[in-house]
Amino acid sequence: MTWRGTTRLLLLLVLLASTVWLLGPRGERRDPAAPPLLTTPEQVGRIELEEPAGRLVVLRSPEGWRDPEGRPWHSDAPDDLLRALGTLRPAALEADSDRPLEEWGFGPTATRLHVLDATGQDLLVLEIGRRNPAWTARYARRAGTREVLLVGAALEWELDKLRASAPPPNADP
Amino acid sequence: MRKLTRRPWMALAMALALATGPARGAEDTPWILDANNWQEGKDLLPEPVLKRLQAGEYWFKVVPVDPAAFRSNYAKKFWDATAANAGKYDLDEKTCGLRDKATGKIPDFVVGLPFPTIDRSDPLVACKIAQNFAFAGNQGGGGGATFTLNGVDTGGQFRRVKAFLHAMSYQGRLDGKIENNPDNLAAQAVGAAIEPIDVEGVSTLTKRYWDWESQDAIWAYVPSTRRARRVNAASRSDPVAGLDIFSDDLNCYAGKIEYYKWKLLGEGQVLAPVLRPQPFPFSPTSSPSRFNVEIPYMTAGYEKPGSKGAPWWIQENLVFVPRPVWILEGQSEDPYYNFGKVVMFFDKEIYRIYWKLVHNRAGEYFYTAACGYHFVKNDEQYSAVYPNLVIGVNDKTNRAALGGRYQTSFVERNWDPNYFSLRTLTRLTD
Repeated sequence: MTWRGTTRLLLLLVLLASTVWLLGPRGERRDPAAPPLLTTPEQVGRIELEEPAGRLVVLRSPEGWRDPEGRPWHSDAPDDLLRALGTLRPAALEADSDRPLEEWGFGPTATRLHVLDATGQDLLVLEIGRRNPAWTARYARRAGTREVLLVGAALEWELDKLRASAPPPNADP
Repeated sequence: MRKLTRRPWMALAMALALATGPARGAEDTPWILDANNWQEGKDLLPEPVLKRLQAGEYWFKVVPVDPAAFRSNYAKKFWDATAANAGKYDLDEKTCGLRDKATGKIPDFVVGLPFPTIDRSDPLVACKIAQNFAFAGNQGGGGGATFTLNGVDTGGQFRRVKAFLHAMSYQGRLDGKIENNPDNLAAQAVGAAIEPIDVEGVSTLTKRYWDWESQDAIWAYVPSTRRARRVNAASRSDPVAGLDIFSDDLNCYAGKIEYYKWKLLGEGQVLAPVLRPQPFPFSPTSSPSRFNVEIPYMTAGYEKPGSKGAPWWIQENLVFVPRPVWILEGQSEDPYYNFGKVVMFFDKEIYRIYWKLVHNRAGEYFYTAACGYHFVKNDEQYSAVYPNLVIGVNDKTNRAALGGRYQTSFVERNWDPNYFSLRTLTRLTD
């Protein structure tokens, strides 16, 4: 091949790359049908659940799940929650919703679920809004996105199990 | 840290029974739970049901019953057999299958509840509860009924199928072991559609093997093709006749115990749907082994002009007894099974499932079934408990199906095992 041919091919390559850059998706876009948690449950070191009624923190230790005071979590609810987060198949409702976030139940009244690995790196930050009208699922969105997901009510079930199995506040570590 | 529990069904689920007594259960007089006093149902009903109660779609005639009287719906022979089972059985950890402690193998024959006492700290407690459920249901040994399946939406009934079901059990029967069991079965059944004409003769044969590993063997016969085909056991999670009801709704769980992975979530109280809290007598027929049971029809809203509530809600001959329950999660690992996580409410003493909440495999809740029963007993030597109602409600589509509601059924204490065959299936429409 001559140098002219090589130059033309390089120009064509630059043109194609420019087209992809200009017209293609910007940044990393997730498959909306992907489960919320894309890592294995074993990689999770900390779960935080924050809502107006209070805050729960669950930490993985060699002896099992514990609260920050070292009290054991007498249930496998944290594992069940992580399994659910890794298997739920949400449906995306709106990629860029113009509706006020409060209509989905987001904002100050929402539940915030924060899943981190053992080093403190974020694995999932999920804002969980209100139920859909049929009560079959909840609206949710990942941190930093406006994409509203419909996540099955099994998530709420697992969160309830987590809340209900928290060590009593007066229990000894 | 404070507990964040705030939902009634989790209040049921998470051992909050410690804090909750029956709303009005201490009283002996029947009372009505409806939209006017719906708050009293908060700790007695699953949340999707409570929502419909609050909206005025459902109402409940609550009949408190003395626990000892309710327990005596099962004959003394059953409870004696249960007591005699203490310490005899444990479970195969891998499969949840029942194991004879003396031999380390599956027991030869079991009658009564295999686990008379339940210890919440036992790692296999959920399997034990589920096994008790299976054996409570088998005590009658066999029977049959002709029933209807009614698809009902907010406008009324849109489809009706009439069918029959005949069943016999080899395990758990109060009449004792059947020696002639060459296929090593636990139970078998034949079911067939009778009406409308386009589904007449569509039928199934089910054989459940008495082992820990086998799937149920199910054959389906379609008269137009004159072929009986083997179908997957997971088809129990397929809608029946396109309605919002599933084969697995019979007794609220119709599968083999080993088919699910079970987990105990907690305990609580629920309103248990029963035709009446006392047993029905059975009357003799020309056959020495067959007895008829006459029960009243449960009229639904769509059948009664001016009725109160949803068109599928039962208006007559159904009462609700406050009962203590275990709350279990069950989930199949079979990829062909349509249900995801199923939450079930098991009576802590007589081991019937009264309610179940079903999620699909994507984790979306979509369906609640209420499972009603009646009891049959003439003396303390024989008793049976039969499912007579399923109210299956698809909350996603706001549609329901009613199953059961038969007026007569029969107890058969000596089925000819050869009746449960492909030959019967293929000749039903001859």
